[in-house]
Amino acid sequence: MRFLRILLAVSLACGVLAPAGGAVAAEGKPLNIVFVNPGKTGEVFWDMVSQTMQAAGRKLNAKVEVLTSERNYRTMQELGLAVLARAEKPDFLILSNEESAAVPIVEAAEIAGVKTLLLSNTLIGEDAARLGPPREKLKTWLGDITTDLTTAGARMANALIGAARARKWQSSDGRIHILGIGGDEITPASIARNAGLDLAVAAAPDVVVDRMLFANWTQSEAEHVTANYLNWASRKGIRPAGIWAGNDPMALGALNALAAAGLAPGRDIEVVGLNWSEDALREIKVGRLLLTDGGHFLLGGWSIVLLRDYADGCDFAAASPHVEVKTSAVTRNNLVSVSALIRTRAFERIDFARFRAKAGACGRYDFSIDALISSLSPANGAGE
Amino acid sequence: MMKKDDAMTDPDRAGQARPAASRSVVRAMIWATVPVLLLVQLLASAGVEVSSFWSQIRQLDARIARVADSRAELIAEPLWKMRYEQVTSVLDEIMHDESISAAAVYDDTGAAIARVVARPTGQAVAEVSRPIKYSNGNIAVQAGRIAIAYSYSSLYADAGSRLMMLLVVGVLATLATVIAMRISANVFIGGPLAAMMSAIQRSKQDGRAYPADVRASNEFGQLAQAFNAMQHTTSGALDRLGHMASHDPLTGLPNRRSLTERLVVLSSEAGSHDALVAFCFIDLDDFKGINDTFGHDAGDKFLIHISERLRGAVEAEDWVARLGGDEFVVIRPEVTNEAAAQAFARRLLDAISEPIRLHDKLVMPRASIGLAVRHADDPELSHLPALADIALYHAKSKAPGTVAVLDEALQRDYRRRRDLELAIPAGFAEGQFEVWYQSQIDLENQSVACLEALIRWRHPEHGVIGPAEFLPLIERSGNNARLTRYVLTDACRALQRLAAASKPQIRIAINLPPSELADHSLAGDIRETCTLFGVAASSLELEITEGSLINNITSASETLRRLRRLGATIALDDFGTGYSSLAHLRRFPLDKVKIDKAFISEIPASAEDKAIVGVIASLADTLGLTLIAEGIERAEQAQAMREIGVRFGQGYLYQRPQPLDAVLQWLEGQPAPERQVLAESPSVVPEFAA
Repeated sequence: MRFLRILLAVSLACGVLAPAGGAVAAEGKPLNIVFVNPGKTGEVFWDMVSQTMQAAGRKLNAKVEVLTSERNYRTMQELGLAVLARAEKPDFLILSNEESAAVPIVEAAEIAGVKTLLLSNTLIGEDAARLGPPREKLKTWLGDITTDLTTAGARMANALIGAARARKWQSSDGRIHILGIGGDEITPASIARNAGLDLAVAAAPDVVVDRMLFANWTQSEAEHVTANYLNWASRKGIRPAGIWAGNDPMALGALNALAAAGLAPGRDIEVVGLNWSEDALREIKVGRLLLTDGGHFLLGGWSIVLLRDYADGCDFAAASPHVEVKTSAVTRNNLVSVSALIRTRAFERIDFARFRAKAGACGRYDFSIDALISSLSPANGAGE
Repeated sequence: MMKKDDAMTDPDRAGQARPAASRSVVRAMIWATVPVLLLVQLLASAGVEVSSFWSQIRQLDARIARVADSRAELIAEPLWKMRYEQVTSVLDEIMHDESISAAAVYDDTGAAIARVVARPTGQAVAEVSRPIKYSNGNIAVQAGRIAIAYSYSSLYADAGSRLMMLLVVGVLATLATVIAMRISANVFIGGPLAAMMSAIQRSKQDGRAYPADVRASNEFGQLAQAFNAMQHTTSGALDRLGHMASHDPLTGLPNRRSLTERLVVLSSEAGSHDALVAFCFIDLDDFKGINDTFGHDAGDKFLIHISERLRGAVEAEDWVARLGGDEFVVIRPEVTNEAAAQAFARRLLDAISEPIRLHDKLVMPRASIGLAVRHADDPELSHLPALADIALYHAKSKAPGTVAVLDEALQRDYRRRRDLELAIPAGFAEGQFEVWYQSQIDLENQSVACLEALIRWRHPEHGVIGPAEFLPLIERSGNNARLTRYVLTDACRALQRLAAASKPQIRIAINLPPSELADHSLAGDIRETCTLFGVAASSLELEITEGSLINNITSASETLRRLRRLGATIALDDFGTGYSSLAHLRRFPLDKVKIDKAFISEIPASAEDKAIVGVIASLADTLGLTLIAEGIERAEQAQAMREIGVRFGQGYLYQRPQPLDAVLQWLEGQPAPERQVLAESPSVVPEFAA
């Protein structure tokens, strides 16, 4: 049933978007790309990944088929293997190695002769050691495109530290006390962000992370642990100066806890998040959230850019099969241009063709927020 | 009979006490062992329980500490990461442990993060507190502390119930042991003891030795075997003893004891009222002479001969016994009349009288028989020996070598003797005994030198009775001393009266029975009585017989010396009839010798008697003894005595024995003695000694 529903959703998407894509597509032969989305329908980040992917496909003459796993890795594997078993195999299969669930699919794709790209989560640990780098043992595994979340975490921490220093929010021990809220302790995406926090704090001797708490990426648990932290801090006589949250929902939970504790975010304490979520952008707008880092949902679009170039003979592996995309922080300063894009999800405004590698510079890309902003067509140009 | 009864009674009591004693042995064993057993068992189990209790306490402490440690480990991360609901849920889990009453988790600020209370805390609450340490790759911190309060009450309750169970088990075990002990004690001890007791009881009932039926092979079995062996031995010994007790070892005839039983049997087996029992009491005449002449072995042989002859002379239904010495009894249980009985007795005499050869000499045995005949159902059948003895006494005294039949006259004598014997206490109490006095005359000047006190019994029925008849009765009834004191008192009173009648020179002689010489209190009593009446003991003369000296030479001579020290003089009575031992005259402290009247009665006709008296007189003269002749009835006798040199005389010629009043009256008529003689002899003793 679920599978039928997914197919229906895919065909609807194709039916609606194909004429526009067909109209824009201009370069090379048309590509057939399948993305097995690990997330759940309605899960903002992964929805946006799919949407940017499809927007880019339309711009770059690629037919992008999205299959949704609904956060079920078994389903994800079934979907991937079913694609590989098709008579008409796609040109590329985009997978995300969440919980290392994509490994069997990647291996099966090698046998099926279908080229694969890992998005956001690549091979790690034992799998990485066993299967080696891309295009060696697994000839069809082209590489991966991931986000540099460590830098993101560090950037978020530094923003907090800067704000606290500027406003002299040191506690009685003369140090700046920060609460860290991580999503989990095992996924590479979480570990990378947390490592960024650690790096930044390690470089700041006047800063101490009182606790690194984990809230399962959710707002309510974050609110809960934040409340606990605030109580503890008050008992301990600590003045909390900032809360570093691994994603926006957790940042929003922290904001709720602060409000409940009678603290005014932005005035008594600063909070940072990650994801460029609409709610976060709203909180930035009203000054309660210092920033939200992110933009990595654009990996969907960027992956199509890479595969288009690869198909057209400009292999990104010329630089490295591992493409790492930097994220960017949305603050009050750059809030305006990005928030509309996010709010409307009018990713057709992005001119993905502008991000293709220049001839002779295969594998070199500028996916910065500035490049993004300058690539945007005016908002009213979209079908809104 | 009495003795035998006693002997029977004692073992009886002992026998009845025995089973009780054996029961109490078992009980005592149980009482001795059970409390110890119970105590040891209870102490041991209590000790084990206490040590187990302490080890459980320690185990609980250790367990709770482990729980605290493990919980601390589990709680560390959620605590550090402030997942307090997880902390609480982890803490909640430990409340499944029943010992834990409360638990709390504190963070590094000391604030209680989680607190659970399971149950109200009873007594004995212990607490364990452990730090909660959190560490990851980067940090190692103490995130807080966990405290667990736990209770020993379940341990206490468990220990209590176990103790109670041990107590119950201990008591039950002890009870079982008691029962087992009782049963085994009854089986192994009580049973054999009861079997032996039963054997003893049965043995006691009929005097036979029964074996105890004990088949065990243990110590009691051995004891029973030994007991049975002893019973067997005892049985033989008892038989022999019984035979010995009832038989004369020399002749093998039944003895005196058997006689009593035989009479009982006769009495109970009395066939018809007409049947007469002939009881012959046989006494050999002069058996002492045979012993003296031929020796005791020959005497024994002689007795065996006699017994064999008696056995030969009787029929199967007759019964022959030897009572001891030379006394035999033959009972014929059925005779038709007294004449037949007499004929039977004479046949016995004839049988005895056949000559017997002893040491190549023919001896003619001679015996006297006292015959008593009674109906078998006569209630006085048990008196037959006494009755026959009366007849025998008569035969021996009147006609030795004959059969004397107990007749009415003899029985009358017997009854009279018995009456008198019974009347002795009354005689004393009612002053029926009277002291009469007979004077002893100085043959030279015809003056009264002394009065002999002679006892008479003025019996309310039998009249005045002479001493010859009742003195043996007095002696047999143990009243010798009393009678002597009685006479002594009367004599002292008489001395007073003599002094009052101005005849202080007259002394009084008292007869002492043989038993008195063995009485050490006599001298003291005499002194006290003399003092009481204010008379001099030297006024007393004490007459003794040779027989009294023979039986107890040492004691008698000692008493005599004491009496002489008091000042009394000692006279040897009836000299010449008994032993007439010259040695006695020399050995004992005698002052005076009384020549028996047997030597006087034929004087002056009998030249022999006269010669004998002469010899005695010269002997007395040599030994410095004063002589007095008894039984002087005629003047020529007095004359003869004077001629022979006998100083004093006594007899009907001068005065018959009379009550004191009559004597005093008679004395009034006597010529006064020559005073100068008396003046020269204030004490009799020195005078006679001179």
